[in-house]
Amino acid sequence: MSGAGHDAVDVGAAIPEWSMEFVDPQRMKTMAAILRDPYEVHWDHEAIRPLGFDRVINQGPLNLSYVTNMLMDWQGAACVRRLNVRFTQPVFEGDRLVARGTVTSVDDVDAERRATCDIHLDRIQPGKPDETVLVGTAIIALTA
Amino acid sequence: MADASTGVSMTEDELHALVGRRFPGGTRTIEHWENWLLTDCTGFTQLPDRLVHPIALFHVPIQGAGTSIAELFEISGARGAGSVGLDGYDWEYFSPLREGVEYRVEGSVIEVERTVSPESGGVADRFVYSIELTDPDGVLAARITNHWRIRR
Repeated sequence: MSGAGHDAVDVGAAIPEWSMEFVDPQRMKTMAAILRDPYEVHWDHEAIRPLGFDRVINQGPLNLSYVTNMLMDWQGAACVRRLNVRFTQPVFEGDRLVARGTVTSVDDVDAERRATCDIHLDRIQPGKPDETVLVGTAIIALTA
Repeated sequence: MADASTGVSMTEDELHALVGRRFPGGTRTIEHWENWLLTDCTGFTQLPDRLVHPIALFHVPIQGAGTSIAELFEISGARGAGSVGLDGYDWEYFSPLREGVEYRVEGSVIEVERTVSPESGGVADRFVYSIELTDPDGVLAARITNHWRIRR
């Protein structure tokens, strides 16, 4: 894992971005099996067409995982203390996404230094502004 | 009558009666294969020291509490593609989850709310449940509070 180290973490610091270059529908199928998720919008194109879509919809936990990956890549695999997020737009197969975040405060809690961060996941669309699909806050132990 | 994009009808009294409904409860151990596949689905490198990917806090609490996504759909009256949406998650990690540890899992429905769109008049219900995981020493390891929205 790479990390900036907590000595370098200041309020306003940007967390290094983490990208999912292609939301893979095959991964959605595996995820549906692990979750035992019967919701067909994640794996059945015939079920999604009546809703006006031609691509299956990524699972919410997978969308959140890309932000979580950004946090773990930054401060290590055991760094996450809290995730509080809202889903603002569906994510579809084939989407390109970038997880981003900014440190809003740094505090000492329970004998460890923690950063509170604004986090979001953006859909990258050629020729269009980035579209935010998930927003929230994360509390991270500065362990790196 | 519900179609593919709406849940089953439910009176407001029936909706509010869901608050306090407890899941059966139980135990859940996260196996290595499961964590490996889960982590692979996220596109991340495999984690060291039997650490479980944090995203396991979606399905492990549900399954460990003795329920399932399908049963939660049934309880909340979700039906068919498009009838249920995710509003958000609030997940707290009091200690990192690890493979091979048997967690005790308990939870319940904690909040519901009926909303009516001022524009369309469409009815949607917030459905909120919370589940806790405790480790074999009885120490709280994690708590989730998930917010779903059921379109009627």
